[in-house]
Amino acid sequence: MKNKKRTVTAKQHAAGWIYLAPATLLIAVMSFWPIIQAIITSFKTGSSANMQWAEPIIYNYKRMFQDQLFLRSVGNTFLYLLVEVPIMLVLAMLLAQILNNKDLKFKGFFRTCVFLPCATSLVSYSLIFKSLFATQGLMNSILIKLGILETNYNFLGNAASAKAIIIIALIWRWTGYNMVFFLAGLQNIEYSVYEAAKIDGANSWQTFWRITVPLLKPTIVMTAIMSINGTLQLFDESVNLTNGGPANSTITMSHYVYNNSFGTGVANFGYASAMAFFIFILVAVLSAINMKVGDKRD
Amino acid sequence: MKKKVLSLMLATAMVASMTAGCGGNNGGTTDAGTTDAGTTDAGTTDAGTETGSDAGESTGGSNKLTVYAWDANFNIPALQAAADDYKANVDPDFELEIIEQSQSSDIEDAITLAGSAGDYSNLPDIVLFQDHWIQRYVADYPDAFVDVDDAEVDWSDFSQEKLSYSTINGKHYGFPVDNGTVIFAYRVDLLEQAGYTIDDMTGISWADFIEVGEKVYNTTGKYLLSMDGDGNDLIYMMLQAEGESQFKDGKPYITENEKLVEIMGVINEMISRNVLYLANDWSDYVDQTILGDMVAGVMNGNWIIPSIQQVTENSGKWEITSMPTLEGGEGYASNGGSSLYITSNCQNVDLAKKFLSYTFGGSSVTYDGALKNGGVITTCISAGESDVYNEGVEYFNNTPIYAQIVEMGSHVPVVEQSDYHYTCRTQIAAAVINIKDGMDVMEALQAAEDQLNFEMGN
Repeated sequence: MKNKKRTVTAKQHAAGWIYLAPATLLIAVMSFWPIIQAIITSFKTGSSANMQWAEPIIYNYKRMFQDQLFLRSVGNTFLYLLVEVPIMLVLAMLLAQILNNKDLKFKGFFRTCVFLPCATSLVSYSLIFKSLFATQGLMNSILIKLGILETNYNFLGNAASAKAIIIIALIWRWTGYNMVFFLAGLQNIEYSVYEAAKIDGANSWQTFWRITVPLLKPTIVMTAIMSINGTLQLFDESVNLTNGGPANSTITMSHYVYNNSFGTGVANFGYASAMAFFIFILVAVLSAINMKVGDKRD
Repeated sequence: MKKKVLSLMLATAMVASMTAGCGGNNGGTTDAGTTDAGTTDAGTTDAGTETGSDAGESTGGSNKLTVYAWDANFNIPALQAAADDYKANVDPDFELEIIEQSQSSDIEDAITLAGSAGDYSNLPDIVLFQDHWIQRYVADYPDAFVDVDDAEVDWSDFSQEKLSYSTINGKHYGFPVDNGTVIFAYRVDLLEQAGYTIDDMTGISWADFIEVGEKVYNTTGKYLLSMDGDGNDLIYMMLQAEGESQFKDGKPYITENEKLVEIMGVINEMISRNVLYLANDWSDYVDQTILGDMVAGVMNGNWIIPSIQQVTENSGKWEITSMPTLEGGEGYASNGGSSLYITSNCQNVDLAKKFLSYTFGGSSVTYDGALKNGGVITTCISAGESDVYNEGVEYFNNTPIYAQIVEMGSHVPVVEQSDYHYTCRTQIAAAVINIKDGMDVMEALQAAEDQLNFEMGN
């Protein structure tokens, strides 16, 4: 009896491993192996056909901190991160709060509207923003008709406004996505908690800060990590909306990595891999900090 | 039931996508095999039967060559003309399979990829790409291309400037196809409104040009010049017209290059006085400034002509001349243009050399066909003397612009080329924008030079 039971468990274990095997194998071959290769590549230099071990071995890693353009791309990325993520998360939370209102009509419609930008592909929405803010674009026409601008303003041709437009585009694209997580989080909060608060005389501002936000904390941590992760790897907007310009003032880290590998045909794969690992370390460190600071469940 | 159907569909979709994915990785049959939709068979009628063939092994002693090209309205008709010429006059069994790529960078990526992998078996026999790349490729992947030094071509019959790109360590690598000679096209009617003629503009100095440009802008509201601010070719062209380069002995020659510093000043003045309009990117440059009829003048490689001609209502109002220079006097430069190169994957190098030297090596039939069907202008001096070249072009007020361009091309000074051409262009373009935004000229140029030195590892 005992013996047979064990074989059943063993069989189940074996079956489990067999089910896992294809996915594991694919991940190992398609994902982990390239990662290991990239680490090795990041310690090499030279043209892509004939790569040599770098001298000293951390040459590529030292090099990036002397590269003004790379440092600028790091600065740009952090600017996007610091401005965009807080605005977006607060907006997402407010929208979720509004759309969670039990008395609101056409809830489904509004939710769809807010989420819809997420269904647009990154390239196409970048291109749409590009044409919206073109010198002869819709935004310029509207602002001139309203009398706010006198002549057409070259939004994407000026460093400050080009950065602002990337941030606006990012907020437009990702707020709805984060709102869905908050909405799910809100629906997990028992209504009776709010009811109790109401009986105790709390106003809606107090309930939001004392009840909603603390109970949403896991969701906030998760969305923050995802947003930080996503913003540090920002690529499509920089490439398609501004192409890093004007004069590299909007280039992001990933875009610069791409330029050094394929983008400008220089095929500098060793250096590009090293920079990619720098981004990887940044994401890991920031996420770790975020988890330590934000998550107080234990 | 519904679930079962759905899961079955998902499973099928997964299997299908997996096999499709694996199929792409197996063997050497990627590019050429799968891009058949774009295959233009210039050779015999059996285009359909050859579809499954692999660019890598299609030759091997037969009369067939494969080639990558990218523009169905420009260089593909030129290659077709060459294939027809060779078939009619040399070898009736010859066949050229033109594999169309969607843009030039696809071909450049294919070469970078093959070179990085050290496996050229996916490349066709011949590739066509932009001239500035070859220096870089031969430096990075020395075994990727076959030199054609022993081909039977009268190299002296070509524009020496054109050949200077594809000649590396004294060896010829490429067969020139199109001509990058810079033209300055003016709207004669608008010049007239401002009180000038095309002859006034020929051999003008940049200082006087700015005066004219300002007047044209004030009378007609149109800029006399526009350029793509992101990939700014203006500096390279203006510098070449002075006989200078951004490089000297393989090192960046920027802050100490007095002509370059002067040119940066001229450009900045042109921007501030509404003579030059800097578009944000290439598509803005073409769509907004040229097709959008914002300009009274266009200066670029002559391949820009088809874009100018798309504004049909301005037919007959344009004429072309040479570039202005700093001191005055006619300036000549060249920008862009491409050549054909034989890859090391070519199984029939002799045939490829014979074909290319017969056709693009100076055959009038090829070059006349290329001009008529694709608007491709040669750098071959003798081929540019044919009747087709001397016909007047209606769009350009019936002036024989093609002969004019070939003649201008023979004056283009040879300047030092570098495999860091595009890196340099990016940095200098950034400097132009920084100067426009108020940065000191020398400071901006110093930053560009530092970054360029950094990327070159100097």
